[in-house]
Amino acid sequence: MAINYRLLDALRRGRSEHENHLIDGMLAGRVNRREFMRHGSVLGLSLPFLGSVATAVGLAGAPRLARAGTPGGTIRIAQNVPAAAIDPVKIADGGGITVMSQVAETLVLSGADLTAKPVLAESWSPNKDGSVWTFKLRQGVKFHSGKVMTADDVVASFDRIADPANGSNALSALGGVLSKGGTRKVDDHTVEFHLDAPNGGFPYIVSTDNYNAVILPADYAGDFEQNMNGTGPFKMEKYTPKVGASFVRNTEYWGGQVLPDRLEVSFYSDYQPQILALQGGQIDIIQQIPVLQGVGLLNDPNVDIISTPSTAHQQVHMRTDLDPFKDKRVRRAIALCLDRPKIVQGLMKGRAQIGNDSPFAAAYPSTDPNVKQREKNIAEAKQLMEAAGMGGGFETTLTVEKYLEIPDYGVLIQNAVKEIGGKIKINQLDQGAYYGDAVYGKSPWLDSDMGITDYGHRGVPNVFLSAPLQSDGTWNSAHFKNTEYDALVKSYIASLDLDSQRTSAGKIQTLLLDETPVLFVYFYDFLTATKKGATGVQPTAMSHLFMNQASL
Amino acid sequence: MIAFLLKRLGLSLVTLWLLSVMAFAGAQVLPGNLGRAMLGPFADQRAVDALNHEMGTDRPVLVQYADWVSRFVVGDMGKSYAYRTPVAPLVTTALINSAKLALVAFLLVVPLGILGGIIAALNAGRPVDRGLTIFGLSATIVPEFVSGIVLILVFGVWLKWLPISATWPNDAGALTQVYHLLLPSIPLVLVLFGYIARMTRAGMIEALDSDYTRTAILKGLPHHTVIWRHVLRNALLPTISVIATQTAYLIGGLVVIETLFHYQGIGGLIFTAASKKDFPTLQAGVLTVGAIFILASLCADLLYALLNPRIRVGGRE
Repeated sequence: MAINYRLLDALRRGRSEHENHLIDGMLAGRVNRREFMRHGSVLGLSLPFLGSVATAVGLAGAPRLARAGTPGGTIRIAQNVPAAAIDPVKIADGGGITVMSQVAETLVLSGADLTAKPVLAESWSPNKDGSVWTFKLRQGVKFHSGKVMTADDVVASFDRIADPANGSNALSALGGVLSKGGTRKVDDHTVEFHLDAPNGGFPYIVSTDNYNAVILPADYAGDFEQNMNGTGPFKMEKYTPKVGASFVRNTEYWGGQVLPDRLEVSFYSDYQPQILALQGGQIDIIQQIPVLQGVGLLNDPNVDIISTPSTAHQQVHMRTDLDPFKDKRVRRAIALCLDRPKIVQGLMKGRAQIGNDSPFAAAYPSTDPNVKQREKNIAEAKQLMEAAGMGGGFETTLTVEKYLEIPDYGVLIQNAVKEIGGKIKINQLDQGAYYGDAVYGKSPWLDSDMGITDYGHRGVPNVFLSAPLQSDGTWNSAHFKNTEYDALVKSYIASLDLDSQRTSAGKIQTLLLDETPVLFVYFYDFLTATKKGATGVQPTAMSHLFMNQASL
Repeated sequence: MIAFLLKRLGLSLVTLWLLSVMAFAGAQVLPGNLGRAMLGPFADQRAVDALNHEMGTDRPVLVQYADWVSRFVVGDMGKSYAYRTPVAPLVTTALINSAKLALVAFLLVVPLGILGGIIAALNAGRPVDRGLTIFGLSATIVPEFVSGIVLILVFGVWLKWLPISATWPNDAGALTQVYHLLLPSIPLVLVLFGYIARMTRAGMIEALDSDYTRTAILKGLPHHTVIWRHVLRNALLPTISVIATQTAYLIGGLVVIETLFHYQGIGGLIFTAASKKDFPTLQAGVLTVGAIFILASLCADLLYALLNPRIRVGGRE
């Protein structure tokens, strides 16, 4: 590895303490190239700059030869029917997000590789403790109405979703992070975010991960479906609720030429008809296909599968305040019964990454890779059960929602714990019944002894670490209360540099392996199916589907 | 006859009112609330409360029902909670779509079913009769989603003769619409063929055995005149009842077919509204299908009376 110190010195000049610390990490070998690129992007370093540093250190990546698509034509997309009216402030479902992603944009894109890429923001940087983030906005961006986007629109967009009176779905992401009035205009193209508490992962809060954070005109009146006035690469041609939509190329798009002339989007209420329509040549793309429903497409020679790694997962919670799970040895014993590689291969057809009973998926740069992976070990599980005074086994009920592979996953767990004398009765509920009112005392999700819950993708693990696991977490179905854990999470979220994050992450991972309130067995990929040979289709694990460079 | 019609109309209104109460009560029993159903389990409680307040679903249940009734009786179906658009166009579009699919299915299955029943009856006990009975029975018991998938795979994916999606392109003409509706109507034909053919066959055999048929034959009337004027007219009475009772199913009960063939009918609209607790849409959809069921039953009674003078006489008595 030949290091070009002259170039490196030039690149380091004028950089902040956190940025130089990250470069030091790569020089010392603590941070690999991929982690450097991801974390550098969060700190607001541009990808060309990060590439230059990596080259100077001697870790340049191989150049990628992207195949350019052909302009023109109509692309036909199948997607799930939006669950409600498309209003970016309130939107909460994948179907709505897919539609919205054609016309409206966020400041930052949380990429498939978990890097934070500039979209409507050109660059960003934190202050020393990460409590104020300054974003430089892209100039020359126009809404579809012709109006130029300015800092006023950005301030209004964030104040709108941070205001509890507007009932925005973003409140769960913004809670304790950004309040109304915290977004301030510096000049027409600069905005400062004054946070409620320091946050090292803030760029993800204004990224596609927080899908409600699209930039709308300051005078937005809640009538998005009428004109879908955003800054995106396509303009709405027609929208019919429950049926579909069509879009035409935005010729004034700031991001260069948009390849397709038109998009025709059809809404489906189930996956099977979408699969049949793709196989029958009536559509070109299925926006998302869960692995179990899409098994028939995985080996279809006429279909390409885009597998987007994600941090989406199924959490298996165990009530730490109730028997038989009060004793952490019982919880650990159950975790030791599961053969994770087999579950990934058998249940998820290999389209998932193995988890280690914490939200720290291997994909996160902050995950401490030195924490030992938990593996199936029945002998140890039996010892733990004996030590907990439960050598004779236990009985419990596992409550599962009928969604994706969850019922099958429940049966796998039911069979696995038989080896240590576990008798699990499965209680299957449809999604509405499972979540109930989604508050303690009125929700099988939050009240059941043991349950399985689907969690969507996040570019940083902050939400997974807090709401389902912190003592005062609103989604703490395990009823896990641990002050040491709470302090570690607070410290992790506030950390700006990768080394500090990784140190906190390692402690959290170890603590969660010991306590095991929740099983994180796998993190599944997000699958998009296209007609053979389609190029330039860019899905995200949050259900966006970027089509501006798509070609058939 | 007018008194009969007025009585039926009054009973129909009471039935529809009870239906609206049942639909409303049913929606209340479902777990969760509208704001939670719309925003999802992970939404902040403040957002859920704000949405419930905006929609008026945080008011007492009886107040909500009374508000809806007072609007509905003056023809205002309200706005969909989920889609924030007036309910009337949503229901009307879905109803027209469902009616089109039902019509195509009816046009195929009624002649085929009656013809099958006639042929079976005229060949009672012979292999043709047995073959038709077995086919009808088998076709009826195969669920629509099974026959639907097989038909899509054969005619849509492999042979590519018929479109898989029942939704036609914008501005499509009548023929194109029928072309798109052919494939989804075949599973319905398969389900209903057995019913109609068996009822026709039973009615035919009974009519063929009757004294008036023997008299007509002995009078020397041509065979086709006996069948057409004397046998079929009497044999079709129970068949008409079957067809009428299937109308509501064909219009409002095709959730699986609508899902499989990507079609926006009223069955799917009601199903979605129920799952989202979208009360105005649910009520409007349920009442529309209820009204169709009542109307179809009424039509069947009238048709019965027209075809059978004895019923008309009985009515007067």
